[in-house]
Amino acid sequence: MRILMVTPYPPIRDGIASYAVQAVKGLRAEGHDVEVLSPGPSAAHYHLDLVGPRGALALAKRVGRYDKLIVQFHPDFFYPVPSTARDRAAVSLALLAAFRRAGEVEVVVHEIDYRHGRLGLDGVANRLLWSSVDRIVVHTENERRTFAQAFGVSPQKITLTEHGVRFLPRTFYDRIRARASLGIPQDAFTFLSIGFIQPHKGFDRAVTAFAGLGARGCRLDIVGSVRVDDPGYVAYNNELSVLARATDGVGLHDGYVSDELFDRWIVASDVVVLPYRSIWSSGVLERAALYGRPIIATAVGGLPEQAAAGRDVTLVADDAELRTAMWSAAGQRTMNFPSTPWPIEGDDLRGAIQQEVRLRAATDRGSRVAAGGTRTAGTDTEALLGASTVSAPVRRVHQLQLPPTNSHRASAAFVKRMVRRLTAWEVEPVVGQVNALRAATVEALEELAVRRSTDPVPGDDDVPTVTQAD
Amino acid sequence: MSEPTTQQGAPELERRGRIGLVPARFGPGMVGGAEIVMAEIAQGLKARGWDVEILTTCAKDHFSWRNELPAGLAEEDGLAVRRFPVVMEDIAERGVLEHAIVSGAELSITQQQRWMNSGMRVPELFHYLLDHSDDYRALVFTPYPFWVTFACSQVAPDRSLLWTCLHDEPYARLELFQPVLTGVAGLFFQSKPEHELAHRIVKPLAPHAEIGCGVDVPQKYDPDGFRERYNIDGRFVLYSGRREGAKGWPDLLTNFAGAVGRYDIPFKLVTMGAGPIDAPPEIADRVVDVGFLSNDERDNAFAAADAYLQPGRWEAFSRTIMEAWLAGTPVIANNSSEVVRWHCGRSGAGLTYDDQHEFEQCLAFVSEAPDAAAALARSGRDYVLAHYTWDAVLDRFEAGLGEWTRP
Repeated sequence: MRILMVTPYPPIRDGIASYAVQAVKGLRAEGHDVEVLSPGPSAAHYHLDLVGPRGALALAKRVGRYDKLIVQFHPDFFYPVPSTARDRAAVSLALLAAFRRAGEVEVVVHEIDYRHGRLGLDGVANRLLWSSVDRIVVHTENERRTFAQAFGVSPQKITLTEHGVRFLPRTFYDRIRARASLGIPQDAFTFLSIGFIQPHKGFDRAVTAFAGLGARGCRLDIVGSVRVDDPGYVAYNNELSVLARATDGVGLHDGYVSDELFDRWIVASDVVVLPYRSIWSSGVLERAALYGRPIIATAVGGLPEQAAAGRDVTLVADDAELRTAMWSAAGQRTMNFPSTPWPIEGDDLRGAIQQEVRLRAATDRGSRVAAGGTRTAGTDTEALLGASTVSAPVRRVHQLQLPPTNSHRASAAFVKRMVRRLTAWEVEPVVGQVNALRAATVEALEELAVRRSTDPVPGDDDVPTVTQAD
Repeated sequence: MSEPTTQQGAPELERRGRIGLVPARFGPGMVGGAEIVMAEIAQGLKARGWDVEILTTCAKDHFSWRNELPAGLAEEDGLAVRRFPVVMEDIAERGVLEHAIVSGAELSITQQQRWMNSGMRVPELFHYLLDHSDDYRALVFTPYPFWVTFACSQVAPDRSLLWTCLHDEPYARLELFQPVLTGVAGLFFQSKPEHELAHRIVKPLAPHAEIGCGVDVPQKYDPDGFRERYNIDGRFVLYSGRREGAKGWPDLLTNFAGAVGRYDIPFKLVTMGAGPIDAPPEIADRVVDVGFLSNDERDNAFAAADAYLQPGRWEAFSRTIMEAWLAGTPVIANNSSEVVRWHCGRSGAGLTYDDQHEFEQCLAFVSEAPDAAAALARSGRDYVLAHYTWDAVLDRFEAGLGEWTRP
């Protein structure tokens, strides 16, 4: 069969591009004659700017030569950002023209906004467009159900395909060699969060949940890069970097990795952590499963469904469960605490224990003073305690979290999930910013306290005080 | 890791499985160190019993990338060569992005990707590897910044090796190349400075080895015959390679013209290779282009020269200075090149310059003390023979194959 696949394509860095190239390899191995058209120059046979009605109409001119058209669909490839309902309707109608000229049309939906199926100008155009597609492919049952409802498409037309069905191993390293190559001690219990760094991936949640495990011989490696030049993504990466530096045992390996290195990191890890705030489905989960690595993942998007497909996945609902799952996976209860023994006598036993409590807590939080390994030295101990004291009021304000979407009533859970899905794009950045501000405030207060106690500012005592008379 | 090693007790290397060598250009008359080296490695591996195939493009010229050679599989010089057509669009934005990179501006990853994909591309080669990479035990790419290496080494990174040719140039520091240098089966470095540079700019580095580069040792030289055949009277200094900015050719002309203007320099400047001459009028009659030479005639040219000039700032190895030293000819090289500086210091057989004045004094030394210059060069031949024979380099190359790939 002569097939045209429309998709972003390597060497562009993009998750859909990686997915598509494996699909192309599979189809060609089955004997199909597959050519690729990408939205920009790449290793594809052709490229075409597909955004807007002109892009879709240009595509229409090309599709007649093929028996089948496969589109790896993301709205940004076709619809201008931002766009009005009129814009969207125009693009959908132009795409409709392209699809009607093609022999057979299959669309693999990687992401779509279900709101655009509502009645209205673009809703009508979208429903027409999707009804013209012969086969719509999604990766989870949830997507299948929601898509059918949103666009009025018969569920029979929508096919469910396992996300990783065409995935192949990319490294032949075993765990020992993989760790040696990455500089990971063979005996370190290693968590891994890997992928593009974006706020919705929630890698900061993994760091927060991990805090304290570093002192118990564990490590968390975050591997990835910012995919696009979005200022919000870059700011998130910076914040994540600060958080990682401040947390004992966490390493942020900022940079894009090849498919081989990506898999090598997975092979080297003990547990892969996917602390996503929202996601459609996860290729990382599939790659971790490919190597039999246990996974801890938040129960968002299509992950529960992917988890249900027999993989070793621990699903968690919130940050508290994430922390419990990570600590449990690391066998924290059976490990020896490297810290000093608890005080068991003395004139002020309570005070001594309280101090030890604060010190251990500070260590768990990843205090830089503690991470320096001098927690028993008098000055640093004082500094650490001082830092804990000044940041305490802010630390008592818990991290902001979105309300859970679970409920014992299925209908209520469904409504909550829908509300979450429809509002997440607005609410999550706010939550992220608030938490980032809180973390930055705690860090600044502790840093200042440590500096003042270890290196007093000359004349600090002479700061003039404001009197009533002034 | 400095050299690939075979684990104690491991079985001897099995020369099983096809090795695909993937230079962006291949064939007689190519002026380019990496391309020449790939041809030598191909012949060397074949002679040692490997099943070798060249995967390359239909282009000969690395500026136009015109498809001049037929696509498909053919036997060339005893080797199986599979050629694929180049798609060359030369999108206008590329020039702007290129300028930004070279001038040190920070480009976003999206811009870097646009730069990489806006010049030559070889989709058919990419898809051939997508379909057939499992047929190869290893795929060896070179040099790192070409689209062929960048895109195609990522098709099957677990069996991709790089003859890296890493220079301390702005391209090397682009984030774009990190996956190529971190996530392939192995990297071959030609010198210690190249190896050290890689550690400075890449983390974590893919498995790697410092294996050097091989140079053929001529059995004899015919300097007088060379002078006669090319009608060259008097003494001359020599430049060999691509005549382009990246190789330091315009700077060399400027320095040479300056030296001629200020001093009674007895030398002509003989050049072999490819690219326009563009000599300033005041030295036009002193610059002699002998074109692209056969290997024998190339060696004769080295032997006939008073000194070999290496003005390039970015060298991963510099085969030509080895060829000069083998011929008993001293080297005058740009001190900015860390690799050449390292070779000159280690061998004791080359002078380096940092500016016009030092360049002139280097020429003055060779002019006024030719015996001392020849004595200086003598240790260069021993240096090459001790480190860079093809046998030794292929041994190390095979050790890398054995360690990083599977039959």
